[in-house]
Amino acid sequence: MSDRTKVLGAALSRRGFVKTGGVLLAGFALPKVEGQQKPGLVDALNPGRPESWIEIHADNTILIRTGRSDFGQGTIFTAYRQIVAEELSARFEAIATVVSGDTDRTPDGGGTFDLLSHGMPNVRKAGAYVYQALLSLASDRLGVPKDQLTVEDGVVSGGGRSVSYGDLVKNQTLNLTIPVKGDISSMFGLTVEGDPPLKPVSQYTVVGKSFPNSVTVSKVTAKETWVTDVRLPGMLHARMVHPRTLGSKLISVGALDKNRFPNSQVVVKGNLVGVVAPTEWEAIKAAQQVASATTWSDWKGLPGDQRLFQFLKEDADWKKAPVATARTNRGDVPSAIAASSKKLSATYQLPFLKHAPIGPTMAVADVRSDGAVYVYTHTQNPQALRSGIALMLATPVDHVVVRTFAGAGHYGRSNGGNAGAEDEAVILSQALGKPVRVQWTRQDDLQWSTQSSAAISEVELGVDAKGALTAYKINHFMPAMQDDRLVGAILAGLPTIPAPNEIGSLFGIANSMHDPWVYEATPAVLESSFGTMQIGQSSSPLNVGLRDHSLRTPGQYQQNFPREVAITEAAVLAGVDPLQFRIQHAREKRVIGVLESVRQNSGWETRTHRPGAGEGVSRGQGVSVMFRSGTYWACVAQIAVNMTSGAIKVEKITVAVDPGIVINPAQLKRQVEGGAVMGVSIALLEELRFDESGVTSADWRSYPIATMADLPEIKVVLINRPEVGSYGQGSEAANALAAPAIAGALLDATGKVARRLPMKPDYVQSLLRA
Amino acid sequence: MTTVTVNGVRREIQAPTDTPLLYVLRNDLELTGPQFGCGLAQCGACSVLLNGKEVRSCIMTLGSAAGKEVTTLEGLPARWAKQKGLPDEEAAKTLHPVQEAWIEEQTPLCGFCQNGMMIKATELLERVSSPTVTEIKDAFTSGVSPHLCRCGSYTAIIQAVQRAGAAMAKRSQA
Ligand code: FES
Ligand code: FES
Repeated sequence: MSDRTKVLGAALSRRGFVKTGGVLLAGFALPKVEGQQKPGLVDALNPGRPESWIEIHADNTILIRTGRSDFGQGTIFTAYRQIVAEELSARFEAIATVVSGDTDRTPDGGGTFDLLSHGMPNVRKAGAYVYQALLSLASDRLGVPKDQLTVEDGVVSGGGRSVSYGDLVKNQTLNLTIPVKGDISSMFGLTVEGDPPLKPVSQYTVVGKSFPNSVTVSKVTAKETWVTDVRLPGMLHARMVHPRTLGSKLISVGALDKNRFPNSQVVVKGNLVGVVAPTEWEAIKAAQQVASATTWSDWKGLPGDQRLFQFLKEDADWKKAPVATARTNRGDVPSAIAASSKKLSATYQLPFLKHAPIGPTMAVADVRSDGAVYVYTHTQNPQALRSGIALMLATPVDHVVVRTFAGAGHYGRSNGGNAGAEDEAVILSQALGKPVRVQWTRQDDLQWSTQSSAAISEVELGVDAKGALTAYKINHFMPAMQDDRLVGAILAGLPTIPAPNEIGSLFGIANSMHDPWVYEATPAVLESSFGTMQIGQSSSPLNVGLRDHSLRTPGQYQQNFPREVAITEAAVLAGVDPLQFRIQHAREKRVIGVLESVRQNSGWETRTHRPGAGEGVSRGQGVSVMFRSGTYWACVAQIAVNMTSGAIKVEKITVAVDPGIVINPAQLKRQVEGGAVMGVSIALLEELRFDESGVTSADWRSYPIATMADLPEIKVVLINRPEVGSYGQGSEAANALAAPAIAGALLDATGKVARRLPMKPDYVQSLLRA
Repeated sequence: MTTVTVNGVRREIQAPTDTPLLYVLRNDLELTGPQFGCGLAQCGACSVLLNGKEVRSCIMTLGSAAGKEVTTLEGLPARWAKQKGLPDEEAAKTLHPVQEAWIEEQTPLCGFCQNGMMIKATELLERVSSPTVTEIKDAFTSGVSPHLCRCGSYTAIIQAVQRAGAAMAKRSQA
């Protein structure tokens, strides 16, 4: 090769020769940003550095780096590796190392959400660029044109000779510079530009196989370093004394009993109170003692859970934010409804939910005397957290390093950066000049973290005499759901991003249309979404209130439940089997495909609605459908209802998923099973309890989730459609499908419709008696 | 000074006797298999075996573990090796059948709860060699509290318990 070759939009160059080893390093061509190329105080990986993305080593091993962190789905360690191996035509096992989630060791930023559709094109394209570069090198070496080369398992052949990737890079250092755009510390990170040729799906050999998750072994054998295991020299343990309400200001800090807790210290900054000690047990006891003697101002500014839906309907201001309407809206809804022989008008209500990770959030921070800040945590978006911490401390971003470790899944809570304790750890560490580990209690985690927004939706629809849907109108109402402010910064009076407000879209209060319409045969459709401020936030003297944040299938869960229950109700009005009714109104063959799949695989009985049974136990079936991030989903729930107690037992859940290309069947199946269990939990059990001052859910008794006793038989059907050519998202949606299917089954079993969650026995009983 | 046998080794521990065992294990002995999930005996993330019985180390004080035998996730391979009388070099390479089954079934999602799940499975399988699904569900939901998994891996747990049970039964016959 010449010393500099163009490989499509990327540039390949030789930096020199080396005696041993050798490597091809793939990095980025960064858009020029003022000041970004200056070396930082800490060794933050400059995304322009060549070793930033993929490395091909002389020993035939490959290393990949990604700023996204694994969030319990194993995607980073399975699907990500599979995609890169596939584009490189290398073996899965050749990718010996995956570096993820540390801001000083990875290049691209962005968060762990929508990984396969937003995150995946990046690695797929980067792999494709590297593959082209390797082909160029091989073409030079073998003297054979690129298009006459073949590659198998990292060995290039042509003209009767072969050379391995390792041999191609041996004894030299090669750089490949890939074009990118975007801002590394923004929510979405960098995006790879250009269109290198991608491997045809028909030639896939790695994608589609069930490779095991490489971190499972270390987790199962207690060898993984979890974030909970991070210990730094001289580190202090901390527990927080959070305000008494979501609007309380500090009046006086309780005096620490130095006789009992000689090694403890109290740190106060504004309304932030933390207690530290060298041992964890002393920190816990000292914090309890200080908390009991600390006084706070009173505040009442929330409606309380009993008045939640009345508040949303009557008191919340839905006029402040622009209204979102669906692109699929069509026809004249009012006249079509007026002309319909049967009509439905109904309101659906969803409570606040918690992410409720099994381990409460915690973090370790080390603010060093030279101004460098290290944060050790479990976050879905390390770069966004990094910029949030820098903003809080008014320090340059390149003074901050975020290191990501395995932790308890928290399902979207930190996709904008923080999970909760990181900023508090930083504030305490800065005040004390020592590393500090902040561990939230179960109660902190339920009461001081964000929640998934409550919502109401109003539906009007009409059905004609032939049993077809003539018109469908829905208005969705949901408070802002993306508050990425640092709660410790708010309490301490330090800078953080603004609360969701009227300005802006992602961090604004406007609601979007999250649930794409799938019943295309409907002649008239009018879907709209309305947003408002978070409840209690602006009246809270702390500017806190009930902060909200996306939770698995965010926004779409809140919109799909009312739609799918309403469609089941429409089918009942029409006198048509609810599954057949859906098929009749769909046009997209993949929607029809997932519905037919659940019909076959669940033992669905095609029938019109039967009047509810009277006594004992009554059984029913229900169905739901969703299209999300390139993936089509359908779910059937079969349930048994105790007609006396109102208790629902979900007996079987069948989920069909069509993501286009299935990357790793076994891992996808496990993800969907898990999502289905969370769905049953949301349907039957979960509801945030709060009074006028704050959250009253404080433990697993006051915020119950599904246990193994609630586990139904779960059947997952994967529909692989290589011809689609893309990978849809697989780790969300499943958690949202169960509730509308279970509500449909309740209607089938009892003739009663649950338009609110959760379907707890007392609520179902009240429906049965009505 | 409190003496506890942990994973077969006698340990002398300085911490105050009212310290919950969980913090002693994690911070003093650096055995980080057990996790802090609630501190309230409501989830099972912190479970260990105490004289062979599954207990919640978050509420068990160091003092009440004095003189007893504690097995953590780290100690499961040696526990199995000892039960089977495996020679040392084989024991060093062996995982507990429960751990093997957890890997083969790809049970963990985030994995944070799985310490307690594997400890509970071990306790159950030492008592009942091939439990039915009902017996498994009962074991994981009775006692001081149900073992909670927020990621919803219960199906995978049941499959792994049954796989481990079969493997243990087979090796007992051999
Ligand atoms: S941490 Fe011990 S039971 Fe939850
Ligand atoms: S695997 Fe995540 S909590 Fe159980």
